[in-house]
Amino acid sequence: MSHGRTRITRTTVLLVALVAALTPVYWMITISLKIESDQFAYPPKWFSFTPTLQHYYDAFVTRSFAQYLLTSAIVAVVSTACALVIGTLAAYALTRFRLPYNLDRKLSLWILSTRMFPAIVTAVPLFLMMRDLRLLNTKASLIVVYTAFNLPFVVWMMRGFFAEVPRDLEEAALVDGDSRLGALVRVVLPLVSPGLAATAVFCLIVSWNEFLFALVLTQTDAAMTLPVGIAGRVTQYEIKWGVMSAAGAVAMMPILVFALAMQRYLVRGLSLGAVKG
Amino acid sequence: MGIRFQNVAKAFGDTKVVDDLSLEIADGEFVVLLGPSGCGKTTTLRMLAGLETVSSGEIYIGDQRINDVPTQQRDLAMVFQSYALYPHMSIAENIAYPLRVRKLPRDEREKRVASVAKLLEIESLLDRKPRQLSGGERQRVALARAIVREPRAYLMDEPLSNLDARLRVQMRGELKRLQHQLGTTTIYVTHDQAEAMTLASRVAVMKKGRLQQFDTPLNIYNRPANRFVAEFVGSPSMNFVEGTIDRGTFVGAEIKFPVNRSGGHVTMGIRPEHIHVLTQPQDDAIPAKVYVTELMGNETFVFLTVGPHKLIARAPADFRAEVESTVWLRLEVEKAHFFPKEKSTDYPE
Amino acid sequence: MPRSRRFFNAPNRRELLLPYLLVAPALAVLLALSIYPLLYSITVSLQQETSSGIVWTLSHFKRLATDNFFRTAMAHTFVYAVAGLTCEFLLGLGLALLLNQQIRGRGLFRASLLVPMMLPTVVVGVVWRLMLNPNFGAINGTLKQFGVDTDSLTWTASPRLAFVAVIAVDVWQWTPFVFLVLLAGLQAIPQEPYEAALIDGSSRWQTFRHVTLPLLKPAILIVLLLRTMDLLRVFDQIFILTEGGPGFATEMISLYIYRTAFRFSDFGYAAAMSFVLLALTNVISVVYLKLLQKE
Repeated sequence: MSHGRTRITRTTVLLVALVAALTPVYWMITISLKIESDQFAYPPKWFSFTPTLQHYYDAFVTRSFAQYLLTSAIVAVVSTACALVIGTLAAYALTRFRLPYNLDRKLSLWILSTRMFPAIVTAVPLFLMMRDLRLLNTKASLIVVYTAFNLPFVVWMMRGFFAEVPRDLEEAALVDGDSRLGALVRVVLPLVSPGLAATAVFCLIVSWNEFLFALVLTQTDAAMTLPVGIAGRVTQYEIKWGVMSAAGAVAMMPILVFALAMQRYLVRGLSLGAVKG
Repeated sequence: MGIRFQNVAKAFGDTKVVDDLSLEIADGEFVVLLGPSGCGKTTTLRMLAGLETVSSGEIYIGDQRINDVPTQQRDLAMVFQSYALYPHMSIAENIAYPLRVRKLPRDEREKRVASVAKLLEIESLLDRKPRQLSGGERQRVALARAIVREPRAYLMDEPLSNLDARLRVQMRGELKRLQHQLGTTTIYVTHDQAEAMTLASRVAVMKKGRLQQFDTPLNIYNRPANRFVAEFVGSPSMNFVEGTIDRGTFVGAEIKFPVNRSGGHVTMGIRPEHIHVLTQPQDDAIPAKVYVTELMGNETFVFLTVGPHKLIARAPADFRAEVESTVWLRLEVEKAHFFPKEKSTDYPE
Repeated sequence: MPRSRRFFNAPNRRELLLPYLLVAPALAVLLALSIYPLLYSITVSLQQETSSGIVWTLSHFKRLATDNFFRTAMAHTFVYAVAGLTCEFLLGLGLALLLNQQIRGRGLFRASLLVPMMLPTVVVGVVWRLMLNPNFGAINGTLKQFGVDTDSLTWTASPRLAFVAVIAVDVWQWTPFVFLVLLAGLQAIPQEPYEAALIDGSSRWQTFRHVTLPLLKPAILIVLLLRTMDLLRVFDQIFILTEGGPGFATEMISLYIYRTAFRFSDFGYAAAMSFVLLALTNVISVVYLKLLQKE
């Protein structure tokens, strides 16, 4: 095993992987900044072009992408907040209390299993339900659905974080005279706050990126989320690549920022806590 | 305030962890629950604190039956083995927590925290976080948090076991002084018999969930109720010799001496300090062989073999003997204890 | 006394209720939005609107047996899942094994690899439509520069190539995920077994087979489970990249169900198909979970 050779192989593989991962994204960003003739140029212009912000203007000022952006943000934030509150309370109960008939374990597994449903399976009946409730094309329907969507994840993640807090601390708080909920708020929550933050970020990312439910439940400009807005442009007969790329670039920015901030917890979150990243 | 356990029992599933425990603790007493791990002493403490439910029986604080009173309303303070300091709060906030929860006004809180900190000499630590403190310092903070409330009683769960030996001895003394100063009832759990002997006004020895003996340290040492207590308390532990009492004489292999007791199979117990080792034979002295000697500095432990028996004796610091050499033993037979063979009786109530 | 026994006991009735109160909202939300829709879906799948009102019928389920489109979509989904899984797993594992050392700039590297996984699927679709465009896409453009004849490489417009392209896009997006999870799993393995194997004289392949793989099993299983579930229910990327086309070439089951429900308004049949899909994913996840439990 020659160390020099493995080192070169390793570095090469690394670079190839990096290039492969980032190039397509870079390409899209260049399309969003190129005038149309540059977009169709051959040989492909990777670096030598004059950038223009025309497409961004088109997307967000002339067309309704700014509105879609706002809708996405509102839906993501509100549904994440709801899922966090409801899910954290449930996670705490399931970690700290022993229920009869092993209910706490069974409930946790059951909650997790709801995450395994293919989205389309619940999307069709949800559409029918929302139609009957006259909630189609409203932000409210999305918020409610996304909360349910994120809940299992919150419960599962927070269970792991709560389990790491030693029971001694809550017992000491109880003996000191605090109520159960008081101990939760004053002693336990501050200690799991990094976990809470990471979970919140995950939920925000998932809600922001979500496509199928948004597609099914919202079709009007007033209620569409950003992904649906972008997709709409794609399936029309005349595809304005510039506008689409601009919208895509903006859609991707917040996610990248968040994901970078939460790197440490990423693997743990994505693997549902099975592996500590 | 006085505390009373009345036929208290605790079972986890099918396992009985505490079995028919009855104890009466007077106001201001320092009672130690002593026993090996698994004997139920910690469970008893936790039942008193309200952290475990009582399977059967009653617990009273003063005249109040507290079985159904939730933990936070029992007005007891607890020092945990791990100290259980809140890691995200400063020392001052840790100590103030019980007061904050009772909604005491800020200046009152600060006053009490300051006076308790002065008492325990931790004033310089008030702004730090628990992780910045040493073991001994954290222990004092845990104590401070317990004291600041002026509760009805202190519960302590092996608070010294995480400290190194020297610190442990030092803290033992400080704890005793403190309790004397404050005069509050204290229930203290430990497996260390030295701690129990030095700290307690009365010791409750437990084994497998049952109370063995509840008495002053001196009585536990000099008049153990059964073989278990005799063996558990005292270091080095008591020597035991199996034998029979026949017509006024105890006979155990090569050890014989007259006794004023009835006959039967017995186990004779005698403490190392009641075996005197002589280098010259004397009448009635029992010959023995030296197995090994340990020079402790202030005294010498002599390990002996007498026939099939292995005994330990305490000798003066200047005692010397060669391994395998013969010595003679004079037993203080009036200090010998006798226990019925095999079965140890439980403390009769 | 085992620590696990120290759960909170409730000395009085009020506290006994607390855990149930805390869990109730979560259960309510899930029942309303995950379970109830399923039940609703069952009723829809068993009903049909006729001229004389709504009747109960098994016709939707019977149709499954004869619907060629359904069978093709299922077949496509399976092939897609197996191909995608294999590529992602092998690539991800290879990368993880190769890079299981202290690398300079590891944080930066990990951050860059995150990008494909974190993108909204719609954006992934857009990115690759741009890359794969036969006329001005970067792929064909670069290939042409190297002298390759790209006239026949119409990617998303060619039935066979479109399928390959769609798989490739998924591999691009999710291999980093497999890599990261397996890497984390590898790094959690302690050094001692390796040292013992070395002393015992084990070869690299033997060490891999007998030390690395068994200790990596939980991570492998969870990653395979998650990817399999995701691959079987794929929708977003296909929708943007090819819409199931050209023709029916890349139609996956989720897409077919979507179309049946929302283009043809045939909710009953869509619901019936959903159940087959649900049953399938359930069985597979149960199998995986059983395997995981054994660890």
